[in-house]
Amino acid sequence: MTLLAPRLLAARNAYRGHPRRMWVLGVLAGLFWVGSLVLFVKVLGYFQTIGEFGPLLTQRLLLLIFVSFFAVLLISNTVTALTTFYLADDVNVLLAAPVSRRRLHRARFVETLVASSWMVLLFGLPAFLAYGVVYEAGPVFYGATVLVLLPYLVVPTALGVLVTTGLVMVFPARRTRDAMLVGVGLLVAAIVGVIRTLQPEQLAHPSGLAGLAGFLAGFEATGSPYLPTTWAAEVLVPLLGGRDGDPLFHFAMLVSTAAMLYVVSATVVERVFLTAWSRAQTGRVRDGGGERPLSRWLERLARPLPRIPALLFQKDLTVFLRDASQWSQLLLLFALVGIYVYNFSVLPLEDGSPLGRAMRDIATVLNLGLAAFVSTAIAVRFVYPMVSLEGRAWWILRTAPVALRRVWWSKFWIGYVPLVGFAALLIAGTNGYLAVPPVLTAVFLATLVPLMAALVSLGLGFGAAYPRLDTQNAAQIATGFGAILYMVTSLTLITLVMALEAWPTWRLLRYYRAPEAFGTGEMAGFAAAYAAAFVAMVAAFVVARRVGLRALERLPI
Amino acid sequence: MIRFAGLRKTYGPLVAVDDLDFEVEPGRVFGFLGRNGAGKTTTIRMMMGLLEPTAGTVTLDGHDIAREPEAAKAITGYLPDRPNLYDKLTSLEYLRFVGGLYGLGTHDAKARGLSLLEEFRLADRAHELIETFSHGMKQRLALAGALIHQPRVLVLDEPIVGLDPQGAVELRRLLGRLAEAGVTIFMSTHSLPVAEELCHRIAIIDRGALVALGTLAELRARAAGSTAGPRDGEPGVAASLERVFLDILEADAA
Repeated sequence: MTLLAPRLLAARNAYRGHPRRMWVLGVLAGLFWVGSLVLFVKVLGYFQTIGEFGPLLTQRLLLLIFVSFFAVLLISNTVTALTTFYLADDVNVLLAAPVSRRRLHRARFVETLVASSWMVLLFGLPAFLAYGVVYEAGPVFYGATVLVLLPYLVVPTALGVLVTTGLVMVFPARRTRDAMLVGVGLLVAAIVGVIRTLQPEQLAHPSGLAGLAGFLAGFEATGSPYLPTTWAAEVLVPLLGGRDGDPLFHFAMLVSTAAMLYVVSATVVERVFLTAWSRAQTGRVRDGGGERPLSRWLERLARPLPRIPALLFQKDLTVFLRDASQWSQLLLLFALVGIYVYNFSVLPLEDGSPLGRAMRDIATVLNLGLAAFVSTAIAVRFVYPMVSLEGRAWWILRTAPVALRRVWWSKFWIGYVPLVGFAALLIAGTNGYLAVPPVLTAVFLATLVPLMAALVSLGLGFGAAYPRLDTQNAAQIATGFGAILYMVTSLTLITLVMALEAWPTWRLLRYYRAPEAFGTGEMAGFAAAYAAAFVAMVAAFVVARRVGLRALERLPI
Repeated sequence: MIRFAGLRKTYGPLVAVDDLDFEVEPGRVFGFLGRNGAGKTTTIRMMMGLLEPTAGTVTLDGHDIAREPEAAKAITGYLPDRPNLYDKLTSLEYLRFVGGLYGLGTHDAKARGLSLLEEFRLADRAHELIETFSHGMKQRLALAGALIHQPRVLVLDEPIVGLDPQGAVELRRLLGRLAEAGVTIFMSTHSLPVAEELCHRIAIIDRGALVALGTLAELRARAAGSTAGPRDGEPGVAASLERVFLDILEADAA
């Protein structure tokens, strides 16, 4: 407990420092939680109604939940253990203190478990609760869920600690982290891709369920009786009253395995910790060699730019390409874009039915907003962290003879050009699928120019107002409180712009399907709608820029 | 060259820096001494435009840091107490970046960077990422960055901390050479031997306020006057700066 005190006290101080922030986060988490619960209850309830087939489906789904969470937990524990055991600065202090390795392992184990598992608990508990609600289970089920979750969480933590220790013994810690981050990026992209290709929208049709059932039947392979995920599911399913089973036996299997793995991880860490820790302290030093090619390429690329933007462009891109926590997120981005475009390619638009036409029109009206939303998801990962990533080295720019507004503009262009280009490609590509008239595509593209400017300005503004200078992990920065506020604000702006432009877009679409002259009042309405949208975007840009500049001035050094 | 006029910084009821009023002449090494938490780093941060003063001004070569920050910063080199650099850049890339910020052309920045890396014994690590550097190496690289544009004013916050004995000796020699070349050096330090060896004038700050200012001889004379007399085995006239420092702080506290 003594070794965990610094973390607990830091959490308490963070709460005391920003009570309002914590409340906002609490409310958002609560809303998400309740929303998820309602959704799970609805979906499970719907499955249960499908005759005798339903309960089997929901039981398989419970196993699927355990297996998916286990995979996520294994990855997140491995990455977290690397930080808590081998990269955290305070390990130095603990090693120098009269603290046994066993105590050190225990404290770091708990820290790793909590840090890696809280998110899963947040997502997972509504699912388990929903099972209880739908099956009208008794209190034993809820109690058992809590009891099962503990050893269920311990198993991936122990495995994560063991995997990390093994990796650190072989590779330097920084390389290990880079490799892991890329692995995680690939895995998440793959998971997102697989879920999408399952075409969950088909579940809306009863015939589509056959596909899901087929998938779940194929899933049988992962239900091996030797896996902790199976044991966890086997404890809960009989308690739901779904079918007979031996919950006590499976619970004992789970607990004993968790205990055994914990002891193994403690023993291994106790034996090799100092060696592993020492190896983790070394970075990779190149064997000789001259100037790196990346410097030369970027220098050539930046040559046409003015001095300060060129310097910041070279510096930011060099850091980006050398930091796996940043560039590995591109993998996720590719997956996201692939899915977005794929969605449009599978829309049943060409069947000639009135439904097909209506869907095409709705998709067209929404396309601008959806593309902007995808762009925001990208901006929160690449634009929002820009200020935080300056980190403790911010003094270098602040003490240089460069005005802050020039730094701001440089960062703006570095974020804006790729983002607006990307959004334009997305719109042009998907509008192609929807056979949207070129004039309307031009209107969308013209909207993107100020909209992306506003989104980038908001990203920099919120990024500067809620800096995370303590971490150099871009993925972690993008999940902070400011990032949530940024997303919410951006979505509000996008919705507003979309709402203002929906009617003119709709009307233009109709015009191209069946030409019919516009009235003067209509034309004035169009102008007013577009003007209002433009004003909203410009206002967001200007206000965010002002807030951002002020926050940059006050950024701690 | 450097002028503090009524410089003050408060955080609510806490007065971190209290009405600093003094000047540093061109080409001089000025030592800024004080206990931990006396207000040295806060003063330096205001001096570099990193912190807004509650009142007063700092002028660097005639440029008010608040009104003409770019002009003031262009002639100043700065080394912070903790040299956090861009870990993912190589040392040469870092120096070229900093050189560019100060207006050096690509080729000039590279040539100057290579020569500074040579001078600071980092030439063989020119293409290594900074993340692989030790604290002392980062300190030397940060100092090289502060010198890349050949500043007229050099502001150093605890420059000796983190340097090995060889590095410390080299730094003392370098500062001596720079002062001879006419660079004005403002240095906060805990290392009294360094201040004693290098500084033409010394200021002592305590609880944010200036408690002593003068040459080492003037401070010795003042310390001798403020105490009952020389201590055992310590002749009053030739007392070390350490003794002078402690005597002045004790007298100020009394």
